[in-house]
Amino acid sequence: MPSLPELGIYFALLLFIVGMFGVMLRKNIIFMMLSVEVMLNAANLAFISASSMTNTIDGQVIMFFVMAVAACEAGVGLALIVSLYREKSTLEIDDLRMLRG
Amino acid sequence: MMTQISFLIMGILTVFLSIMMITRKWPVTASMILIIVMMLIAGMFGMLGAHFSAVAQIIVYAGAIMVVFVFVIMLLNLPPEELRYGRITMFELIYIVLGFLIALFLGTKVGQGYLLSVLNSQTLMNSRPPYYPDSMNENVKNVSALMFTDYLWAFELISFLILVAIVGAIVIAKKAKVNDAKSS
Repeated sequence: MPSLPELGIYFALLLFIVGMFGVMLRKNIIFMMLSVEVMLNAANLAFISASSMTNTIDGQVIMFFVMAVAACEAGVGLALIVSLYREKSTLEIDDLRMLRG
Repeated sequence: MMTQISFLIMGILTVFLSIMMITRKWPVTASMILIIVMMLIAGMFGMLGAHFSAVAQIIVYAGAIMVVFVFVIMLLNLPPEELRYGRITMFELIYIVLGFLIALFLGTKVGQGYLLSVLNSQTLMNSRPPYYPDSMNENVKNVSALMFTDYLWAFELISFLILVAIVGAIVIAKKAKVNDAKSS
């Protein structure tokens, strides 16, 4: 049986893969942002596991910073979504290709 | 052994619920499932000895960020989407395979020894007395002491980033309204 931090690293890997597939497979911006949140959570879990594995506390501090950056990302991203939905009244990224030329 | 089994159950439940999350049809359902996922991850943090991080996870993620998500979803009043999955292109497949290989390498004993040697080679880590997560009662004190000494500049930069994000969110969300008023 692997120790607790090793299990945490493995689950962080699995969660990150799930979030990555969510970003790549879904075509709705809301679901893509929710999947990005899952990926950030997986990174946090890896930080905490590494902090517990090396008997240091730096990972917990960095996890706090990642959380603050995630809050900024959610705020600005949701503001963009609201502005975009007012403009185009859709959230499918296939219909929002104006940046792709 | 008991803690490992419960940690295993929590992790499997987390991965299963996040798979459920990315396959839902309604955004609100997905948000509710994601709140449960974040609570489970907070439990895993607590079992790993990071009590302050567990509480911050529940307060910030499940309490603040997800409320903003649900608020925006309800504000937009979205219709349910029919599930239209995209195709995975060749480049994305290459990224996935490379990521799996790196993760498998880091999961082996050799990779973990490599990671630990990298971590231990930092003189910053060695200059500090080691922190043992078994002595639980001083977690908040240790985290805050480290945050306001070694990571003080990062902390200040993060506060400035949050200020910029607040102003940016207001400006971005307001701009469409100004344009509407001009055009009408």
